[in-house]
Amino acid sequence: MKRLLVLLALALPALGLADDLSASQLAGQQVFAHRCGMCHREGGTGTFVLARRLGAAQSLLEQRTDLQPETIRYVVRWGLMNMPRLSRVEVPDPDMNQLVAYLTRLRPTATP
Amino acid sequence: MNLILPPGVSRARFDQALKAFASVVGSEWVLATDEDRETYLDVYSPGRDTSHAASAAVAPATVEQVQALLKIANDYRIPLWPISRGKNFGYGGAAPRMPGTVMLDMGRMNRIIEVNDQLGYCILEPGVGFFDLWEHLKANKIALQMGIPGNGWGSVVGNALERGFSPAGDHSNNICGLEIVLPNGEVVRTGMGAMGDGKAWPLFKHGFGPSWDQMVVQGNLAIVTKLCLWMKPADEAAISIEIKLPKPSDLQWYVEALAPLRLQGVIDGLVRLTSYQAAATVPTLRSQWHQGTDSIPDDVIAQMMQRMNVGWWNGPLRLAGFSDVCEANLKRVLDRLAKFTRQEFPVTRMRGDAQPGPTTYPLQMVNWYGGRGGHIGYSPVMPADPKLVQEQFERTRRRYQQFGLDYSGTFYIDGRAATNVNLILYSKDDEEQKQRVRQLFEALIKDAREQGYGEYRTHLSYMDDVAATYDFNRNALLKLNERVKDAIDPNGIIAPGRNGIWPKAYRAHRGVL
Repeated sequence: MKRLLVLLALALPALGLADDLSASQLAGQQVFAHRCGMCHREGGTGTFVLARRLGAAQSLLEQRTDLQPETIRYVVRWGLMNMPRLSRVEVPDPDMNQLVAYLTRLRPTATP
Repeated sequence: MNLILPPGVSRARFDQALKAFASVVGSEWVLATDEDRETYLDVYSPGRDTSHAASAAVAPATVEQVQALLKIANDYRIPLWPISRGKNFGYGGAAPRMPGTVMLDMGRMNRIIEVNDQLGYCILEPGVGFFDLWEHLKANKIALQMGIPGNGWGSVVGNALERGFSPAGDHSNNICGLEIVLPNGEVVRTGMGAMGDGKAWPLFKHGFGPSWDQMVVQGNLAIVTKLCLWMKPADEAAISIEIKLPKPSDLQWYVEALAPLRLQGVIDGLVRLTSYQAAATVPTLRSQWHQGTDSIPDDVIAQMMQRMNVGWWNGPLRLAGFSDVCEANLKRVLDRLAKFTRQEFPVTRMRGDAQPGPTTYPLQMVNWYGGRGGHIGYSPVMPADPKLVQEQFERTRRRYQQFGLDYSGTFYIDGRAATNVNLILYSKDDEEQKQRVRQLFEALIKDAREQGYGEYRTHLSYMDDVAATYDFNRNALLKLNERVKDAIDPNGIIAPGRNGIWPKAYRAHRGVL
């Protein structure tokens, strides 16, 4: 049963059902799917490298509870280690705000 | 990245040009902060970032905006570097050849205009990525196949225009008609599209008279706004033959065995062999295998092959099509291999539409040295002759060993020609190693030229060197390209220096990094 719950917990964020997302967070989830998901979802290259560096528990960005808005903004624009940078054409500023809202939603102090 | 202005343009004039650009696309689509410039740098550069630093970016949303931007660029003499999605990793990423060039980022023009499964084609704007097209095919249950390169993050259009390829072959061979904007703002459709309402635009390549599609591919004469690309109907069945050859010398007989079958069409796709290291670079770090600064030695290679369960050379070999034809071709392939080896090759049968989708997974190979990494590739085209292929491999590997770098090579055998992709991995933070990478690259260019082989595509920093190797009649082809360039683009505003083709306004920049 415990294993089933863990599996559900892993599966639900991808379906957008686990959280009661605000409109901004929901939009941010779409930005993540289209601009980040190819590397930062299950099986992606970013997930693999993060697991190598920080451990499996920290490897899926959508489940992180410790991401800071400034960190997300910085890494998207300036890259990190081997991660290429994303321009404001690829992730325009309004999309970045939504992305930040989504990826910081699990922080203890998050506000929608 | 601090501002580097376009050559000969004052700061005041540059600012006026950006203002004029903004009047066309809106100020939010003119990107000119230090941070913006940073996002267009070549993240995996083997040299200095400033060699290929953009001054700003402008992003149009329509063909009319592209026309208006070109007029301004001509008026202010602002060179533009068009990109589709800017994921040309290993070749310069998004970055321009000449510092100070303004990015023309076509990423906002990202419509899938049509996908036609009856006649097997799609019409795309430059911003459509492999993931976008893949999701479109799945969502609409369209039974067409895509040629997908190793890095699936980029643009379908941009990849075809670079002559990117996959086991399905050279993607530029599937281009059938373009919509382009010339430097003077005129919109042209090539091939059958040259007729207003030409019904066969995406269906018949050449139209009437000279064919212009390949004049634009890898060139700098025009901005592509639409591209028609042929797509193959999904196969009924596929067979994967697992190829693991134990010795470096096995390359020769393998090419002798299979190049004729590729030429006869028994094998429908490129025959690929990749050296052992590709299996290790993605899931492991170099330090897990070897600490030395020399090229990985043979005893470590043996361990790597054993632990990663790979051969010195590895497949797979894929047959696809109707299932009865696949079975007949499988027998031909296995009979042919049996003439050269007693080795058995495992066979897996699958549905033809079980094609894997795009992935970015191979990109993590740049982490081989554990820190900030980079990669470039040296990829000469040569005859698919068994002995010449073996010699090319041995000569190339000796060069890697000479410069203390890890050999990682792939041969793509296409019946007549073979493309030898040599991957060079390095640490971005190791200047001494990057120096050796550049020495290796220069040696490989020289070696290939001596054999009469030339590269099909190269990194920004080597475009002039590689163009110089195409030297028949004192580089007559390059001179022709530059005469055409000057005639069509007299101010040299589109992609100066791309693939060694310099307009007269910037010709002094040839060879300057």
